Formats: sequence, structure tokens, C-alpha cells
Amino acid sequence: MPKAGSPRDNYLGVRGWVWAGRYKIERYLYILHRITGLGLVLYLGLHLCVMTVFRMQGEDFYSAVMRLFHNPVFKVGEYLVFAALIFHGLNGLRLIFQELGFLLGKPKPPIYPYRDSLRRRRPLVLAMIGLVVVGAAFVLFDFARGGP
Amino acid sequence: MRNTYLWLLQLVTGGLILLFGGTHMVLMHLDDILGFFGIDIGEPTTWASMMDRAGRGFWLAFYIIFLALVLYHGLNGLRGIILELTPSPRMERLVTGLILALGIIAFGLGIYVPAQLFAG
Amino acid sequence: MGEAKKIKFRIQRYNPENGVAPYMDEFVIPVTRGMTVLDGLFYIKENLDNSLAFRSSCRMAICGSCAVVINSFPHLACHTQIAELRVSTLELKPVPNYAIIKDLVVDLSPLFQKHRAIKPYLIRSEREEMDAPSAEFLQTPQELEAYLQFSYCVKCGLCLAACPTAASDRLFLGPQAIAQCYRYSSDSRDDGAEERFPAVDGDHGLWRCHLAGACSEACPKGVDPAFAIQLLKRLRVSRALGLGRGRRPTPVAPPPTAMQPKLPVPEFTVKPETALRREPEG
Repeated sequence: MPKAGSPRDNYLGVRGWVWAGRYKIERYLYILHRITGLGLVLYLGLHLCVMTVFRMQGEDFYSAVMRLFHNPVFKVGEYLVFAALIFHGLNGLRLIFQELGFLLGKPKPPIYPYRDSLRRRRPLVLAMIGLVVVGAAFVLFDFARGGP
Repeated sequence: MRNTYLWLLQLVTGGLILLFGGTHMVLMHLDDILGFFGIDIGEPTTWASMMDRAGRGFWLAFYIIFLALVLYHGLNGLRGIILELTPSPRMERLVTGLILALGIIAFGLGIYVPAQLFAG
Repeated sequence: MGEAKKIKFRIQRYNPENGVAPYMDEFVIPVTRGMTVLDGLFYIKENLDNSLAFRSSCRMAICGSCAVVINSFPHLACHTQIAELRVSTLELKPVPNYAIIKDLVVDLSPLFQKHRAIKPYLIRSEREEMDAPSAEFLQTPQELEAYLQFSYCVKCGLCLAACPTAASDRLFLGPQAIAQCYRYSSDSRDDGAEERFPAVDGDHGLWRCHLAGACSEACPKGVDPAFAIQLLKRLRVSRALGLGRGRRPTPVAPPPTAMQPKLPVPEFTVKPETALRREPEG
């Protein structure tokens, strides 16, 4: 085994998660799922700490901070969290089914030109993306109307 | 079998979070749209509304279960990502321990205020 | 032959022994109809630069030796015609996620080690039958169809080059090995699923696959490893939950029995004795 980082060692590393060549959409959904997941874990940590600390400070402090959160910068951040959640949720729903072997069809004898099981079910993925876009637009509408 | 159970639980918690998280997000953020459909829940992010929820057994149980689900799903996912960076097996045990500790602390932090309210 | 179109090959050169960093080398070669990328490499080696290193054997996508990255996508060089790419410049690089030996040759030994780790052979409890087989194991065409697709793997290693998990996780078994684990575990003649499983259930096994699907896209034989991995997940989950019927391995074929044909077998029209009698007359 050559040592990591030497030119002999041709592993792509974390860079390979994002880009390794001209692949189809699922490979990019994979990294987007990962990025939104990490973002949501980060947000969860912040959310837990912040809410607990503010509640322990009492009503006046809590209300003052809530007013601060109506600032447009926080609203945009909140919208990003919401959009990430919609994507992660719907793509996750697809993954729950497909990782358990549903919605993938049956093994087929490979006859050229080959069409793999994910490619045969690509309309499903496109429908999922459509739903994410519709959901994100719907929430954007609500945010634009000034809902908290 | 350990990893099979761990990841199966990841899928199950993921499915449940869709339900719990969906409810939470709709109640917290889409109250205007709920109002449009004639469901008035008031302003959910005010102090009074929050204290009201914390005092009700149903919402308390809802949020404690939701917290446990989200922490498991998030931290197990994080562990998976760290495992894929191939640290040594010793580092992996360390990471697993740290993540477990982080989960327990976060769960304690999350239920601290409601538990205090419930006790006092 | 007719018109010989000129195509530029940009090939990544690297020889670990002379200490020069990897660099791109350019060759312009005449391309004829039906010429594959491997034919182009042979042309370069024979006419332009005999120090170019690449691996190949069968030239017909059976041996799985000539995996290279062509214009940012992993292909078998012998299975890709230059014309089908519709470009005037080809960029050839060694497949990623392996160690480079020289130029386009990579070290596939991790792939073979991982393949060996999942015990890629039929496992059954009856020892004498396995050591000295008396007959074949029975299998219906339906049982064959369940795994046939996954048995076309040629171990070219393209799927590991495509897999995002294999890019960072060197211990990950990889799509090839896990798909082969399913191929043997789902074989109706096999009884070794439980024996095979500890190797796949580790921290760097089956559950590090997150269905990016790149392995199935890159596979030159239509094996669809991503699909096999998901089916293996399903098999393991149903076993973990105690669902599904337990499967007994199919039995050894019984010895042939005497049978009564429905139609009588016709007599031979040429009798051996008549044939013999004619011979001396001629």
C-alpha cells in the first residue's frame, strides 16, 4: 500500500464524494443528502442549546430573542433549514424503500444496451425532485407572507 | 448483525421523523397556511404558547420521543460519515464513544427544561 | 479503410520509479471505423511510444483487464469505440481508488482480497458431496434468473472507481464484493449466507452503501451491483427481523431412472447386418 497523498495513491478521497466523473443524478442526490444531513445535525445542536438556554432565562429574554429571529437574515437561514428538511425527508423516503429492495424491479438478464434498475426507475426520482421543488415553493410562499 | 440493526433503526427513525418532524414544522412555521384552512392555533412561537405545550402530557411525550428519534438518526448518520473517512479501528471506537456521549448530553439538555417544569 | 480521421489521445503518464510527478502525454493517431480505445492504445505502443503501460488481454470485455477512465467516466477500453464518444480528444487516466503501478496500470489486489473475503463459492454442509460430487445440484430456471444477472461480473474493478464510499473508505468492501455476496447467498444451491455474512456486516461493509448508483452506471457487463446490494440489505433485514421463509439448499439430482417413452423409438432402417453385407460387393 503506497502512503496516502503520494502520486501513486490514486484514491479520490472526500473530493470523490462530490465529483468523480460524468455520472447520473443519483450520485449527486447522494452528496446532497449527506450535506443537508450534516447541516440539519448542526442546526439541531444549535436549536437544542439555544432553545434550552433561552427558556432557562425566562419570558422577557425569550420574547426579545424571538423578535430578533424575525430579522430577514434569520428568516433566510430558517428557510434554508426548511428546504433542506424537505429534500432530506423526501429523498430519505425514496431511500427507505429502495434500500430495502422495493421500487427497484426484479433481476433481469443483462441484454445490451444495459439499463440498470435505478435508470429504469428514474421517473420516480424526477417525481421526487418535483415534489421537493413544489414543497419548497409552498413554504417560500408562506415565508414571504410573513409567517414566523 | 449489529450494523444491520443500527441501520434498520436509521431507516425506521427516518420514517417516523417524517411524521413527527412534519407535524412540528407545519405547526411552528406554516400557521398562516393552517389559518387559511380554518385551523387557528394562535402564534406558536410565543412564550405562552410554548409553556402551554410544555404543560400538556401529549405534547411533552411527543417532543421527548421526537428528540430521541432525531438524535439517534442524526448522530448515527454522523457516525456513518465519520466511518467512511477510514480512521483506524481505535479512532472508530473513540468516535462511537464520543457520539454516544454527545447524544446522551444532548438528550439531557433537551429534556432538562420540560422535566423541570413537570417536576416543579 | 478509407478516410483516417485524426484523434488526439491525452494519456496520464506516471512511473513511480523515476520520481517524476504524473503528467499528461499527447499522441495523435489515425482512427478507422470500428476502432476501440484499446486499439488506439496498441497503435500508440506499436508506432509512437513503446514505454506506454496499459493492461489488456481478451480485447472483448470478457477478462476485465483494460479498465481506464476515458473522458471523466470509467470504461473498459476494449468495450468503447472511439467513434461512439463523438469527441476529437480523448483523455485517458488510470481508474481512481486504486494505487497506480505505472501509467494506466493500477493495482487491483485490494479488489481481489475483498472478493475473496466474502467466500465467493457455494457453501454447503454436506462435506463428502462437496469433496467428491456424485451429481449436480438441482436448480429451476426461475431460481437461476434470481441471481444470473449478478454472476456476469468480470472483476474489472470499475465499480470501485465509481463508488463515492470507496473513494474515501479504503476498508469498504466495495460494490463488487457485496454484489457477489448476494449472488452466492441468493443461489438456491447455496447454504452459506450466515457464514458469509460476518464479513459483509462490519463497520465497512454492506451498510456503508447509500445508493449513489454510480457502480451500476459504470458496470460494463450490466451486472447492476447497486441493485444486488439493496437486495442483500433486504435479505439481511428480513433475516434480522425473523421474517421470510427459511430456505433449504436444493438437493443433489437423483440418479437417472429407467423410463417408458410415450412413442416407441423407431427401428433403424439401415440394419448393421445389411450394411455389412453390402460392403464386400463394392
